[in-house]
Amino acid sequence: MNRSSRAITYVPLGKWLIIEMAVLLILSLLWLLESCLAGYSALIGGLIFVIPNAYFAHRAYRYQGARQMHLAVSNIFRAESIKLALTAVFFAAVFTLMEPVHVPALLFTFAVMVVLGTALRWLIRPRPQR
Amino acid sequence: MEMVFIAAALIIGLGALGAGIGFGLLGGKLLESTARQPEMANQLQTKAFIMAGLLDAVPMIGVGIAMYLIFVVAG
Repeated sequence: MNRSSRAITYVPLGKWLIIEMAVLLILSLLWLLESCLAGYSALIGGLIFVIPNAYFAHRAYRYQGARQMHLAVSNIFRAESIKLALTAVFFAAVFTLMEPVHVPALLFTFAVMVVLGTALRWLIRPRPQR
Repeated sequence: MEMVFIAAALIIGLGALGAGIGFGLLGGKLLESTARQPEMANQLQTKAFIMAGLLDAVPMIGVGIAMYLIFVVAG
């Protein structure tokens, strides 16, 4: 049994969140050059991804280790369901409650954040620590 | 107008179907491989977590487009 397999995995949730928020702010500032509404919509579009994703990452690592793997898997399933439901609810709330909204800025920023979130998990992986 | 709702339902339904199949396979393989090699559990969980991120990207975008169709195009 090597050292990394015995270690507890540290999930860089804070680092992911900071990078995501920094990119979101940069994208919002870029959309702000077009109009104030576009910048605001871009910020909202990014937050629609960041908040459910942070919940998913937090909940998916609630249990670790071989003895609790069935709990970890069930938590991943529940977290994914809640993440998709939260995303749908946030989009519905924005489209019904927020008037007016710059739809291209909202959807473009959301799509960029989805791709960035996946790339971040791949590039900055959770590290095993003793 | 009804076609918009059908399109949104197809986007959400097929996205959820794909994500469900993918997560079922992912979770099943994670449990199976952890049972085979319990000492690798943490590394396997990390890899499953990364794959979960890849898996839910397309359904997430689909949910966004479907909500746009329902509440902006049809609404």
